[in-house]
Amino acid sequence: MRISQLLSIVITHTSISETIKECIAQASNGKPLHERDFNNLALELFTYQYRENSAYKNFCDAHDKTPESINHWHDIPAVPTDAFKAESFPLTTFPLKDTEKTFLTSGTTTESRGRHHFRSTKLYEQSIISAWRELNLPNVYSSFFLIPPPHQSPQSSLSHMMGVFSDQLADQSTWLIPESGSIDLNSLTNSIKEKQAVVLLGTALSFLHLFDSMKSPIILPEGSWAMETGGYKGTHHQLSKSELHQLFNTNLGLHSDSIINEYSMTELSSQFYSRGLNCAHKGPSWTRIRVIDPITNTDAKPGELGHLVIYDLANVDSVMAIRTQDLAMQSQTRLEHENPSFKLIGRDPSALPRGCSRSSDESLSS
Amino acid sequence: MTPTSERIQHLFEACSHQEVQQWTGSITVDDLHAWLRQELGSERALDQFLPHGPLKSKAIAPQCILHIVSGNTPHAAFQSIIRGLIIGSHNIVKIPSAGLDAFTDALRHFPKPLNDLIEIHSALEDEDWLRADVVIAIGSDKTIAAIQQQIRPHQHFIAHGHKVSIAIVYDDFETAARRAARDVSRFNQRGCLSIHAIYIQGDSMRFAELLAAEMEEFSNTNPPDPTSVSEAGAIRNLRETTRFCASNDTSVHLWESKDTLSWTVIHQSDPALQLSCLNRCVFVKPLPPELDSKILGAESAHLSTIAIHPFDEAKATLLENLPAHRICSLGESQKPSLFWHHDGIAPIASLVKWKDLG
Repeated sequence: MRISQLLSIVITHTSISETIKECIAQASNGKPLHERDFNNLALELFTYQYRENSAYKNFCDAHDKTPESINHWHDIPAVPTDAFKAESFPLTTFPLKDTEKTFLTSGTTTESRGRHHFRSTKLYEQSIISAWRELNLPNVYSSFFLIPPPHQSPQSSLSHMMGVFSDQLADQSTWLIPESGSIDLNSLTNSIKEKQAVVLLGTALSFLHLFDSMKSPIILPEGSWAMETGGYKGTHHQLSKSELHQLFNTNLGLHSDSIINEYSMTELSSQFYSRGLNCAHKGPSWTRIRVIDPITNTDAKPGELGHLVIYDLANVDSVMAIRTQDLAMQSQTRLEHENPSFKLIGRDPSALPRGCSRSSDESLSS
Repeated sequence: MTPTSERIQHLFEACSHQEVQQWTGSITVDDLHAWLRQELGSERALDQFLPHGPLKSKAIAPQCILHIVSGNTPHAAFQSIIRGLIIGSHNIVKIPSAGLDAFTDALRHFPKPLNDLIEIHSALEDEDWLRADVVIAIGSDKTIAAIQQQIRPHQHFIAHGHKVSIAIVYDDFETAARRAARDVSRFNQRGCLSIHAIYIQGDSMRFAELLAAEMEEFSNTNPPDPTSVSEAGAIRNLRETTRFCASNDTSVHLWESKDTLSWTVIHQSDPALQLSCLNRCVFVKPLPPELDSKILGAESAHLSTIAIHPFDEAKATLLENLPAHRICSLGESQKPSLFWHHDGIAPIASLVKWKDLG
């Protein structure tokens, strides 16, 4: 039985959010959330979400999991990301009328899109900034963003995140995609004449568009770096990470150790980062991950393939435990002081709709 | 070219072997003669000029057919090669890189004159493409689009792209559930003729429960192939998403094999046709008063077969406005007749050209 249960303390939105905010603040100041504290806080948050999020409570009941029946964060039921698409059963701990912001997952007009509702984005924003600091990621110099700014794409969590980078981390910001949608390279070429290091941030796809639009390479000043995120879903592009890094090198003069990959999703409030090629993604100490072997539905051994499940304490107002359809490998056994990490393989191809022959799309790929 | 009757005799011998027959079904010499008569007007149409109105005409088989087959089931590969062999064409078969053992192994039962007409390739050279007069492709829409780009103006292209099948049950739930379990489970749903959704007139929840029991029974005697991590992930994701919906909506219900991924039955009231993630996962839905393409949604454009129970020609005819090319009896969806029009295409007539005299 946990302390709050022993003392019959009712966990309120204010109490749990303030506790988590404080833990996140401490983590960014060099005091990461260690296992025991994480476990206690995760169980408190589960108790709160089980009580206040009725759609999630029903799901937990279907799994016979209640706050009374579990003692470890491992056992907190994880909702599949597709559950966020069920509009009739919003995954929130608050009435929908109190929503400040809703982010939508990407998708076409015919596809249903997942919705992540926020009562407030303050904790989400704190998580973005604090993770960057806790993970000792590089200084964000004069920054160039290759995605639409938040006011142009208010339903995109990625645009919102980049907006937070722009407002709170970057020395200077330039959004390279104006309303017209085409990439404006003038400001970037003018800036590098001053020989000051710059930062480029965008989706992997937006970088490909950037490279396509360049008439000649733009070699960035020393100390510059780039952050790319996302895959090529719904496009004809199929590029390996090393091929993408080669393009960074050819077009911008950046080596792999100056390229950061960000991994997150609309359904989360925290991010994971890797730097260079073949490196593990690391998350802040208020997150945990499991890699589940879907065949056995148990933890995959380190180095074996499975589906990524993420536990994110910053997801206070929805669901902390999210089951993704991304393939990953668990890093070696994590030590107490180490941040959670995994080797990302990518989107599981079976996450796409299938029918006759879609499963064996290899007739020509010999 | 050998006379048609010789090829028919050789094909009969090949298809008499159990290893071949399990995919082709039982085929007699008379069946093969009748098939040619139906498709070309006469079983002698490939051998001699025959009256054709004021003219005389002879069917000309393509010199070479390129068959690009998928790895989903060997079924389609056998069907395609039999069509090419009966008309005496040379056949290049491009199999998936992972192989198609059930097909290639069984070719040893084909008499030499037929085997001489078959080349198996796991990769294609430019020369192979150039030799083909006809290209038949079975695969995803993406694969078909990629192949289409390789087709030269003189080549005839026959595409069998993404397809999906459904069932409708009107009555006699016990028999229907047993037959449906077979149609859903065979080939682990990888074929175009595999059932993804079953529409029920009457108590659909009761049918789903009966189907779940039959899926378990079928699975006990015919265990599914092992699943890959990716396939297992898709089943887990479907089950968990359904569990979430079911826990919040009483019209949704999930039945699943215990401790295994052998089978999954999902009841939901939304009539829109949703693709299964395959590997014996099937949706059961109430039959709406009107079942049309609009209600079925975008996937209806890819309908191959509608299997109904009890089969009744009058009922089947009522469904003829749906885009499916085949309406058959439930339990038979995976066993099309030799005579069937594959995706609406006459399988032999579509391969030949004609030479006229007079």
